[in-house]
Amino acid sequence: MSIEARPQAVRFGRPFRFSFAFVLFLISVAIYVCTAVVTGEVNQLSLAGLSGLFQRMVALGLVGLGQTFVILVGSIDLSVAALISVVAVLASFIMHGEPAMIAPAIVACLLVCLVAGCVNGMLVGFGRINPLIATLGTGLVMQGVLSTAFSFMPGSVAPRFEAFAYSSLFGIPYPVCLLVILAIGASRVLSSTPFGARIYSVGGNPEGARMAGIRTERVVLGAHLIASLFAGVAGLFLAARLQSGTPWVGRDGIYDLESIAVTVIGGTILAGGNGGVAGTMAGVLLFASLDASFNMLGVDAFVKQVLRGAIVIAAVAVHAVGNKEHVA
Amino acid sequence: MTPIPHATPSRRQVFGIAAVNFGLIMFLLLYAGIAILQPNYLEAGLFMNFLRRAAPLIILAGGQLYVILTGGFDLSMGAVVTLVVLAASILVNGDPNATWPMIGVLYLMGLAVGLINGLVVAYLKVPSIVTTLGTMLLTNGVALTWSGGAARGDLPDNFRDLGRFVAHDVWLIGTLPMAVIVLIVFMVIAGWGLHGTVYGKRAIAIGDNARAADLAGIPVAATRIAAFVVSALAAVTAGILVGGFSGVSVNAGSGLALQAIAACVVGGAQLLGGRGTIWSALFGALSLFSLFTLLNLAGLPQALRDSIQGLILIAALGASAWRERRKA
Amino acid sequence: MTDAPALQMRGIVKAFPGVVALDHVDFDCFAGEVHAICGENGAGKSTLMKILGGSYRPDAGEIRIRDRPMRFTHPVEARAAGISVIHQELSLLPHRSVAENIFMGREPSRRGFLDRQQMRQRTAALLAQLGTSTDPDQRVGTLSIASQQRVEIAKALLFEAQVVVMDEPTAALGERDTQFLLQLVRNLRKDGVAIVYISHRMPEVMAIADRVTVLKDGRKIWTRPQASAEVSAIVTAMVGRDLKDFYPKPPLVEPKESLFSIENGENAQLHGIDLHLRVGEILGVAGLEDSGKTALAQAIIGDVPLKVGSMTLRGKPETILSPRRAVAHGMGYVPADRKGEGLLLRQSVRDNALLSLRAMAACFSRPNRGALAYSKIDDELCSMDVRAADFGQPVGALSGGNQQKTIICRWLAQASDMLVFVEPTRGIDIAAKAAIYETMRRFVDAGRAIIVISSDLPELIGISDRIVVMHRGRIAGELPRGSSEEAVVALSLGLGMRERQDAVV
Repeated sequence: MSIEARPQAVRFGRPFRFSFAFVLFLISVAIYVCTAVVTGEVNQLSLAGLSGLFQRMVALGLVGLGQTFVILVGSIDLSVAALISVVAVLASFIMHGEPAMIAPAIVACLLVCLVAGCVNGMLVGFGRINPLIATLGTGLVMQGVLSTAFSFMPGSVAPRFEAFAYSSLFGIPYPVCLLVILAIGASRVLSSTPFGARIYSVGGNPEGARMAGIRTERVVLGAHLIASLFAGVAGLFLAARLQSGTPWVGRDGIYDLESIAVTVIGGTILAGGNGGVAGTMAGVLLFASLDASFNMLGVDAFVKQVLRGAIVIAAVAVHAVGNKEHVA
Repeated sequence: MTPIPHATPSRRQVFGIAAVNFGLIMFLLLYAGIAILQPNYLEAGLFMNFLRRAAPLIILAGGQLYVILTGGFDLSMGAVVTLVVLAASILVNGDPNATWPMIGVLYLMGLAVGLINGLVVAYLKVPSIVTTLGTMLLTNGVALTWSGGAARGDLPDNFRDLGRFVAHDVWLIGTLPMAVIVLIVFMVIAGWGLHGTVYGKRAIAIGDNARAADLAGIPVAATRIAAFVVSALAAVTAGILVGGFSGVSVNAGSGLALQAIAACVVGGAQLLGGRGTIWSALFGALSLFSLFTLLNLAGLPQALRDSIQGLILIAALGASAWRERRKA
Repeated sequence: MTDAPALQMRGIVKAFPGVVALDHVDFDCFAGEVHAICGENGAGKSTLMKILGGSYRPDAGEIRIRDRPMRFTHPVEARAAGISVIHQELSLLPHRSVAENIFMGREPSRRGFLDRQQMRQRTAALLAQLGTSTDPDQRVGTLSIASQQRVEIAKALLFEAQVVVMDEPTAALGERDTQFLLQLVRNLRKDGVAIVYISHRMPEVMAIADRVTVLKDGRKIWTRPQASAEVSAIVTAMVGRDLKDFYPKPPLVEPKESLFSIENGENAQLHGIDLHLRVGEILGVAGLEDSGKTALAQAIIGDVPLKVGSMTLRGKPETILSPRRAVAHGMGYVPADRKGEGLLLRQSVRDNALLSLRAMAACFSRPNRGALAYSKIDDELCSMDVRAADFGQPVGALSGGNQQKTIICRWLAQASDMLVFVEPTRGIDIAAKAAIYETMRRFVDAGRAIIVISSDLPELIGISDRIVVMHRGRIAGELPRGSSEEAVVALSLGLGMRERQDAVV
């Protein structure tokens, strides 16, 4: 019964860098613009070029939004890649090219996402299982079932659905509009609703939150549901863009690890409790502009991967600078 | 008010035995299942063959264990395996005289990856999940760039023999694959490192409480770096064996890091550090591999193997979490 | 004061495996009263408050709030009943604003959205009530510790608590902030709140309490009005034995030879440090929270090294830039936060005691041969009287006193010749405390030395051969054995320093 505690409080040693997201945004813009100018591909700076850039952001952006919720609450979701593939395949299968089946397909896919999110949330929130392994496990389960069942699930999306991915509203592609709307919505939820406030509380101090009467398990469950739903929307988008889904859509895009990377790069800490949508979107923009720049520079696809790896490490190291604590 | 210490048997020892028992029991049960489906697996010859094919996973688990004990994860193992396989084919290029020098070069590459991982985690304070994710992308990128994305060159027989050579008419056991010899040598060294030297105790100390270890004089950074180096060297060894019996392919290492982590977890090692023995790695990997073999024999499609692996992971962790809660 | 007390606890009993934490304790507090509870660590104060706060359930006894019996199964219920407990560990979220922290878990909403305006207004009102003008939108992590504590108090007051429990509220506060807090408590008292004030600090207790209760070993010793409770009576009741025999005898021979010294040491928190440590002596370091005494310990053992100045060890100049170097040079550190900085909780007692030997041994040497043999360390543990069912047991299961002894064993095994203790007996029961003091004496008598940094003045005065007092990162003065608490406190408040400066002029 010894009282070991003494008042512990966290103090920020240096003045907090306001809006890291904004800085990241500027860096991304700078990279893109400079590369365009240097390589003479100035048409990349036109509306068409820019909308191409934003199109690249949509899938990763959607997944990143969901991942932000989960990481904020102190958890993580490694099953998103598999879920994206499941949704893409399922959507194509149900639609089978028929416009009438678009709505049922979307509903079915979102239902599947709810189930997946529920399972993840229960394992992590109620079962207290390490989220890394729990979501890794659910992802593997989904991937395996999908790969096995795929041969029985041919299909393709309806032309109208596909068109959604390719047409624009006043020059801005629909998917980009969707991303923007969802990003704004997510940001509002986090900043202006009790649920959002609780996400920060649970992520920042789970024990303190529990003592304050917050049902931490439910908040974690909610975050996982959101993550899965966003992954589902990303899957639907990819199905529309690719005309049909395959079991490797998610994995090929490395959506699981990259969504974590953009979230962390954007300033949301892995431990939870701090960060937000703006940072994640800036992180996605950074990745997209780097990607586009690499293309303009004619960088080999494989070299791109090398550079991506280095950038992930560098960007996170920037955040960790000044952290004196031991890290495993 | 002195609490009277209860006369409980030392918990760690009990758990150690339990862990050995659990992993060992799982393995025996699963192997029994295999034997039921295919009785000739009980023959020494087929058992040796089984061991030969399981060797890479066991070696990977052994290396991963070092990192897990210090509280981290090494997600880059699979990429190192891929790199080794592809690099070997290019460097050796069918010339038997080049085999051994090039194997030296491969180990140097592994050393480089391990050092990068270790230095970034120890000095840049980037969490190992992100760091090894970055080096995974980096290493994969290097491998793919170098090989142009396709298997090039050929592996001469003396190289491939490391993976697939089998000595016949050996006393008592009949056949003895080279791979099994490599496995035994590696595990003996790894086991000695963990249990026969002071280093192993240091690694566990860091995983339990890095701050206390530091203040007591443990060279935290050096110990961590060494753990990542061991992990990378294990990956190189596994890669050589894989190249031996599977030949060259760009997907050689896919998913192996997670399998290694799963193996350690199933065998009783604790994620985020502080507990685990070499038997965790050995029996955990044997259990996992026998599960895969069993599923194969039962006619389950390859892809479902992923699903089952996922379920096992969740179950193993759920059991561990439940055990922890009962203790508390 | 009204007829029925705002809070009444009767016959509270609470037992844990192997120990009775509370043995039929009665306690009450009236509205508009400050009732202080004094007691050693382990006396039961913390357990009593955890029961009141709803974290624990009593095995027997009852709680009444305004004469209505209550039973709590969760802290939220206690809060709803009007009880607010302000713990030592602040439970604030550093990345969130003051308002967000105060309303954690009870966010007001309008049509589904957070009502930030209400949050801001009510926060400002609460803070004003406490006499601060902190901006409700400011991030808590940027506030001083004293301000953070005020936020914590505001959080507790949010729902017009009738009973407020403060557990060692001034432990991390400087002098000025302490006075501010005491004024705050007086204001709350005027507002009719019943305040339970747990503290070790006699000056504060004397200044603020209306009644004093002393707990010892889970029992209530007495409750008296403040006027008839003198400090000596309180301390005697808390300790239960005569202070004189509690601390070991002074050394027979006056220490002469220098073991360790710092000249002109400086870093971000320390200025102009000149320090000598002689063979055979226990040097005490006193000071208030921001005096830099912890920074001194960290500098000596290489955790936060000195930037300027020189260190000499046994006559030779050394630079200690890391804890590992310090250990290599024969220094041992026994930290205040045992669990966080001293022990590997999941590893065995043996592994913990062998930690430094293993740290300094050759990397590939056998882990339990020669100097590292289990039999050797077991002997060491036995000679320190570490009580454990089995030394293979995880050290986390041991009591605080035995854990501390294990850490000391680590350094004895390492043959360190200089130990740095910070808060050596925090959270340890009386018998173990005496044993540790005895060990310290024996250690230095064998030709070695100890530096002790402690906030426990009686302890420091009792065991030190000399006391160095720090104030704001400098050494304010040095006092010989047997000095009074007043002398120490005066120096730690910086009063002596002014005298010294005057003398120089």
